[in-house]
Amino acid sequence: MEIEVLEKDEKNMRLLIRGTNVPHVNALRRIIMTEVPCMAVDEIVMLENSSILQDEIVAHRLGLIPLKTDLDSYNLPEECPCKSEFGCNLCRVTLTLDVEAKEGTKTVYSDELKSENPEIAPVSGKIPLVKLAKEQKIRLEAYVRLGKGKNHAKWQPVSMCTYKYMPKIEISKNCDGCGKCVDICPRNVYAKTENKVEIRNLMACILCMDCVEACTQNPPPIEVSWEKDTFIFSLESSGALSPERILSEAIKILDKQLKEFESQIKVKKIEES
Amino acid sequence: MKVKALKKTANELKIEVEGVGHTLCNLLQKRLLEDAHVESAGYDVPHPLASNAIIYVRTKGRMKAEEVLQSAVEKIRETNKEFGKELQKVLKKA
Ligand SMILES: [Zn+2]
Repeated sequence: MEIEVLEKDEKNMRLLIRGTNVPHVNALRRIIMTEVPCMAVDEIVMLENSSILQDEIVAHRLGLIPLKTDLDSYNLPEECPCKSEFGCNLCRVTLTLDVEAKEGTKTVYSDELKSENPEIAPVSGKIPLVKLAKEQKIRLEAYVRLGKGKNHAKWQPVSMCTYKYMPKIEISKNCDGCGKCVDICPRNVYAKTENKVEIRNLMACILCMDCVEACTQNPPPIEVSWEKDTFIFSLESSGALSPERILSEAIKILDKQLKEFESQIKVKKIEES
Repeated sequence: MKVKALKKTANELKIEVEGVGHTLCNLLQKRLLEDAHVESAGYDVPHPLASNAIIYVRTKGRMKAEEVLQSAVEKIRETNKEFGKELQKVLKKA
């Protein structure tokens, strides 16, 4: 197996993975979407709300705010030793919001949420929550918990996680360089130079085969295929966790599940023999 | 994760696993079918909302079904660990 980092910053990561198969990258993708935990507002206590939005709508908007997550210091509520429904310092963070539009209309932004732990705060302070007219007020306490994407999309640490085959395009010498494929390609994979068509951006190809269909020659001199064991794996974090942390967490979770399954089938064997 | 044996003969095994979905089953099926001892392998997720799956393996007779199942799990774990190691190595460089 061989990995190459194509692109990486605080939120995005794109890897070229050689020597693996669809079930493996798909398992990682599924685990990232449904099993890697992150933090989100789970419950709120509305103390005062005179805005025009109902409590439920405000609660929903709060839930969908991505929060910076600390996986090492907090437990999932179901795995926390406190076993309490309300939670403890190890499985719950409290955010408070206390705003009033004193002079005219006011938009409340996510940076006005005060967290008891400054590490657990909205990823962006510029997410609008609600608009208040003069003298309207909102006062609430929000409880943040760790959770998994399979229970609610607000607990998904990624906004996007996909993989695709590494494209493989071959243009034979028979090409007359008409340039039809250059014009039709939605991802600008090709470029025309004099009487020839060249591949400019191979990785952008989405294997749509429009270029093959648009070709006037028969048989078409372009052959589009893909490398069976090579994938481009992209993931875009919501900001809750770093992309490399998300992926390594997914690898850990997959190993944990496999280990558990392994021990379960071993137990089964002992029982029967 | 609870495993219940539904059917068991000399070279067949059908188990029901609680708390497992396509993620693990698809990986398992792929690995099982790569094994030369396996005649047939498949899985079914009876209901998309209930997270339990039925896994079926039949070997050609030389090996027991649970043995091939176990070796498949081991192989997957190895690949996954290799992937993790490779990733750490590449990320350190980047
Ligand atoms: Zn707790």
